[in-house]
Amino acid sequence: MTIDDVIVAIGLHKTFMVRGKEIPAVRGIDFAVQKGEICGFLGPNGAGKTTTLRMLTTLLPIDSGQARVAGLDVAREATRVRERTGYVSQLGGADELATGRENLVLQGRLYGGAKAEVARRVEEVLTVLDLAGIADRRAKTYSGGQRRRLDVALGIVHQPQVLFLDEPSTGLDPQNRVHLWEYVQKLRDGGTTIFLTTHYLEEADALCDRVMIVDHGRVVADGAPRELKREVSGDSVVLSFRPNDNGLQRALNMVNTLGFVREAAAKGEQLHLYVEDGTKALPELIRQLDAEGVGITAINLAEPSLDDVFLTKTGRSLRDASPAPTAEEEAA
Amino acid sequence: MKGLRDTSLLFNRYGLQMLRNPVWLFVGISTPVLYLVLFTPLLNHLPLTGSEAGHAIDVFLPGILALQAFASGTGPGFNTIFEMKAGVTERLRVTPASRLSLLLGPVLFGTVAMFAFDILLVAVGAAFGFNINYGGLGILAVLLGLLLISMASFSIALAIVTKDISSFASVVTGLNLPVLLLAGVLLPISLGPEWLRVLAHFNPLYYLVVASRSLANGDLATSATWEAFAVLVPLCIVALAWATRVFRRAVA
Repeated sequence: MTIDDVIVAIGLHKTFMVRGKEIPAVRGIDFAVQKGEICGFLGPNGAGKTTTLRMLTTLLPIDSGQARVAGLDVAREATRVRERTGYVSQLGGADELATGRENLVLQGRLYGGAKAEVARRVEEVLTVLDLAGIADRRAKTYSGGQRRRLDVALGIVHQPQVLFLDEPSTGLDPQNRVHLWEYVQKLRDGGTTIFLTTHYLEEADALCDRVMIVDHGRVVADGAPRELKREVSGDSVVLSFRPNDNGLQRALNMVNTLGFVREAAAKGEQLHLYVEDGTKALPELIRQLDAEGVGITAINLAEPSLDDVFLTKTGRSLRDASPAPTAEEEAA
Repeated sequence: MKGLRDTSLLFNRYGLQMLRNPVWLFVGISTPVLYLVLFTPLLNHLPLTGSEAGHAIDVFLPGILALQAFASGTGPGFNTIFEMKAGVTERLRVTPASRLSLLLGPVLFGTVAMFAFDILLVAVGAAFGFNINYGGLGILAVLLGLLLISMASFSIALAIVTKDISSFASVVTGLNLPVLLLAGVLLPISLGPEWLRVLAHFNPLYYLVVASRSLANGDLATSATWEAFAVLVPLCIVALAWATRVFRRAVA
């Protein structure tokens, strides 16, 4: 923990009571985020990402552990933490019947800004997020991308030191998603620390300076996307099989006996292997499969992705990880 | 000071949302007027006695004012649930705005809106022959405000506790029928059997309806007025206390 740490979490825990049953959502999360980073929580639904975020933003009481944001204790100095942080929830929460500008002015005023100062700042934010042209239209009429930019604008109208974004690009088409990433990077370049949650691998990979992979309420991996991928040493080989001849299962049994295969896991209809050296492994693999009479329809050699990182840390693929409702959603 | 400023900001926000909702405006204006236009003719042939005796509209209109206070009081909770689902509540909660102002903004706007509709109703009623007694209506306004604040606080707290629209609506509609029937707004309680009249005394709205009639009639210091204050002041305190508690816990 240094002076530059803008967000510090120490042993955070949160358990929800759902119909008399205790459901742990966050079970011991520790991390520190430095000023000016874009830091992402990557994990499947129900991993505890949103719960952690809501504890850090004073929306949810912390069961045990400590959180400091912008140099303040979240539990004891909630009001001052709110003054220094911005939060954009998954839902956004703009008033549909109010115009973009009205929404922003109200938000700025609720953050304590004086009228003239808020008006000036609102113009700035409208420009930064390319909303100036539609500022006087009701939020109801905005497109998905415009709406999301308004949500982000609402989170930064008071110039927070830290901005929390919960699943910022959910529901956006790929083009708007990339645009949003550019805006977020612009904010980071302006000195705002950004902490976001996502279940999109591409988002974590493209946007974040640092990624923490979260699963079952714990951080299972932490580092820059490139470092994390490098840790998954070797290459990944993906095999697809002819349908209806049980190829996947037979291949899985077979590759487990091969010395050069470090890990093998079925993902959907495909088999993912991690091997030390892909170029040497491929010919051998094909020979062996052929000898077993397993028909393959495709074979791909790839560098590891963040999904491979997730797979090696949790034994599951992020894409397949069950989208079970979170304890919080159930409790809500 | 900060609490006052935040409350006025949130009062304006809520008001803006409501005034831009044409359905709300239309129903808010037309419901009481419809009651008046459709129901008063029916009452003209009823044998009325005691506090209910007199010109039908003089008896009926004060009751409608009381009913309005009750009905518009249950409304804000629907909005609370909508705002929770739409993320509006969280958006407001992450600001340093005073927590109490988050509750009071909508409640106070509801009060002001009710008075606006009430004034309209009294004006329309006057055209139908309603006899206006300013002193009585002034005191009645305080009583109506007390009931509205009680109901609105109760409604918002209930919304936070139940969290979804169907359970919230069941509780509200379940409450509506007995409370309205036992208040003697639409039909005089004096027409009913003794047990019904006894039961009515457990209904806070009943006291408001009785008081509203004597006040509108210009009888300012009757026991009905004191009884209404004696019931509604504690009710308002209890409802506000409960709502604040629920609110504090939910939006700590």
